[in-house]
Amino acid sequence: LEAGALRHPVLRARRSRKDRIGDPLLRGLSGLAAVIAVAAIAGIAYEVIDQASPAISKFGIGFLTTNDWNPVTERFGAAPFLYGTAVTSGIALLLAAPLSIAISIYLTELAPRRLRRPVATLIDMLAAIPTVILGLWGILVLGPFMRDTVEPALQSVFGFLPIFSGDPSAFGYLTAALILTIMITPIITSVTREVFETVPRELKEGSYALGATRWEMVRQVVLPYSRAGIVGASILGLGRAIGEAIAVAQVIGGAYGIHISLFHTGGTLAAQIAAQFQGATSQLQKASLAYLGLILLIFAVIVNVIARVIVQRGHLKDTDVTPTEVEAL
Amino acid sequence: VTKRLLSVGLALALSIAVAACGSSSSGSESSGGSGSPLVGAGSTLVAPLMSKWQSDYASKTEETVTYGAIGSGGGIDQITSRTVDFGASDAPLTEEQFEEANGVEQIPWALSGTVPAYNVEGAPEGLKLSGEVLADVYLGKITSWDDPAIAKLNPGASLPSTKVTPVYRSDGSGDTFAFTNYLSTISPEFKSKVGTSTQVKFSTGVGAEKNDGVSAAISQTDGAIGYVGLAYALQNELSMPLIENSAGEFPEPGVKSVEAAADAVSKIGPNNEISLADLPASAKGAYPISTYTYVIVPLESSKAEQLRKFITYAIGPGQEYGPDLDFAPLPKQVAAAGEKAIAKIGS
Repeated sequence: LEAGALRHPVLRARRSRKDRIGDPLLRGLSGLAAVIAVAAIAGIAYEVIDQASPAISKFGIGFLTTNDWNPVTERFGAAPFLYGTAVTSGIALLLAAPLSIAISIYLTELAPRRLRRPVATLIDMLAAIPTVILGLWGILVLGPFMRDTVEPALQSVFGFLPIFSGDPSAFGYLTAALILTIMITPIITSVTREVFETVPRELKEGSYALGATRWEMVRQVVLPYSRAGIVGASILGLGRAIGEAIAVAQVIGGAYGIHISLFHTGGTLAAQIAAQFQGATSQLQKASLAYLGLILLIFAVIVNVIARVIVQRGHLKDTDVTPTEVEAL
Repeated sequence: VTKRLLSVGLALALSIAVAACGSSSSGSESSGGSGSPLVGAGSTLVAPLMSKWQSDYASKTEETVTYGAIGSGGGIDQITSRTVDFGASDAPLTEEQFEEANGVEQIPWALSGTVPAYNVEGAPEGLKLSGEVLADVYLGKITSWDDPAIAKLNPGASLPSTKVTPVYRSDGSGDTFAFTNYLSTISPEFKSKVGTSTQVKFSTGVGAEKNDGVSAAISQTDGAIGYVGLAYALQNELSMPLIENSAGEFPEPGVKSVEAAADAVSKIGPNNEISLADLPASAKGAYPISTYTYVIVPLESSKAEQLRKFITYAIGPGQEYGPDLDFAPLPKQVAAAGEKAIAKIGS
C-alpha cells in the first residue's frame, strides 16, 4: 500500500508537502524544548549568583570556612552546613550502597521468581513516600529509637571513638543520615537491579559450568560486569541525599556549628535554605542563603561530573574486558 | 496515525505554552481593579482569627479577603515586593525592613502570647519558672531539672535530675521574636550572647520546624522545654510552666493574663511598635511573654479604600471573636492608634 500510494502523483505531492512542513516543525519544536531546558539551567545559575552577590562580595571565599551562622550579628558562613552535608550524605551512601547491592543480588539471583516482582515494587514504592512524611516519622519514631536504643548501643561498643561521644539524641547527624539512607536505598536498588539483569546469561552460566558457587559467580561475574552501573547508581543516590532539604531539616536539629559527635544536632546546605529562606531577616542573610544554594549547585555539578567520568571509564574497561572474559569462559 | 498524534501533541503543547504566557500577562493587569478581593499573606499565628474574620466580613459586607498563612517572614517579603495587598507579621519590622518596604506602615491588630511548654517525667504540673531560669536554660547554664535555681522557685516539689533539652524554632518565627525579646529584656547576658530576632543563634538545644515540629520534639524528649504560640499550646493542651512576672506572680497563660499585660503598657513606639516584654511591677496578673501581631499595609495602594475598611473592621468589631480563639482583645488606646494609622492609607 505504501509503495502504491507513493506512485500516485497527487498523494506523492501531498506527502512531500507534509514532509516539508512536518520535519522542520518537529526539529524546531524539539529543538526549542532542548533550548528551554538549557536556558532554564543557565537562568537558575544566573539568578542564584545574582541573589548571592551581596554575600559573595561581603564574605568572599572565606564564607566556605567560616564556622558561624548568626542572623543577629549578621555573620554568616557555610562551614557548618558543608560539614553537615558531607557527613550525612557520606554516611547515607556508605549504608545504602551495600544494602542496595545486597537487595539487588537477592532480587536478581536468589529470590524465588514469584517473589521478585512484588518485592521490587515494594522497594520502588519506598521512593514514593513524600519526604515530609518520612521526616515526621523520623521525629516521632526513628529519632526516639535512635536515642534510646541504637546510639547507646553504639556508644557502649565504640564509645572510645569521638564520633560516638556525647549524649544520645533523637535529633542530629546520625538520625538525618539514616533518613537519607532510607530515601536513597530504593533509587540505588532500582538502578543496580536493572544493571544486574543485563549481565549476559552466557557469562553466568559459563561461570557455573566452571564449577563456581553462586557467591563466586556473583563476585566474579555479576559485580565486575556491573561496576560502572553500581557506581553510577550510588552517585545518583548521593546526589539525591545532598539535595534533600525537608526531611533533613525536620530531624537534624537545626544547629549552626561543626560537631564531631554524630549524635549532635547540626545542619545541611539544603536544610538550611529550606528552613530560613522564607523568613530571612535581612538582605545579607538572604544573599548568604543564596550563596549556600550556589555552593549546593556547584556540589551537584561536581558529583555529576565525577559520576559521568567513572561510568564512562567503566564502560571502556568493560568493553575491553568482556570479550576476553567470554573467551576465557 | 502516530504522526497525527505527534502533531496534535505538539500543537497542544504549543497552545498551552501560549495560553500560559497570555494568562500571566492578563493576571498582572487585572490586579489593579477595585472589584478584585483583597489579598494578604503572612503570620501563621493570626491565621485562625483571620479565617473567622474572612467569613464574618464576607457575610457582613459581601467582600472577600484571601489570606495565605505562609509565615511572618514571607508576609514581609510579599508586601515588600507588593505581590499582596497587605502582609501580616508577629514581629515588628526592623529598620532595614521598613526602608526596603518603602512606604508601608504597621498596625497592631491582634494580641496573643508565646508560651513555654515542657515534658519532664516526674516533675509537677504547672512547674514554676522565671525569666532568668529560662534565659539560663537557653544559654546552656542550667542543664538538669533539679538545678537549685528551679528548686528554689518550686519549694517542696520533687524534681528529677533529667537533662534539660531546650527546643527552639529553626525557621524564622514571630514566637522566636517574642521569646528572645523577653529573655533579652530579663537577662543582659542573653541579650549580648543571643539577642532578639525572628531567627537567632541559640547556644544550645535542638531546632525544630514550625509549632508542630517543636511540639513533636518536646513530646518525644523527656526533659525537653520549648516555646510555641499561646493558641497552639492551649488547643493542643501542652503542659505549660508558670512564668514569674514582674509583680512576682505566676499567672496562668491565657487571654486574661495577656490582656492584663497589654493594659499595663500604654507606650506606643514609633511605627506603632509596642513591646510587652518589659512590664512594670504594678502589672498584676500580667502574662510576661505577651505579644502584638501586626498588619503591614502600603500607604499607596489601588485598594486603599478596601484596605481601610477591612482593617477598621479587624481592629474594631473583629476583635470580639478573639477570646474564643485565644486572642486577647486590643486595648482601647491601641485600637485608637490603629484608627489614626488607617486614616493615612491612600491619603
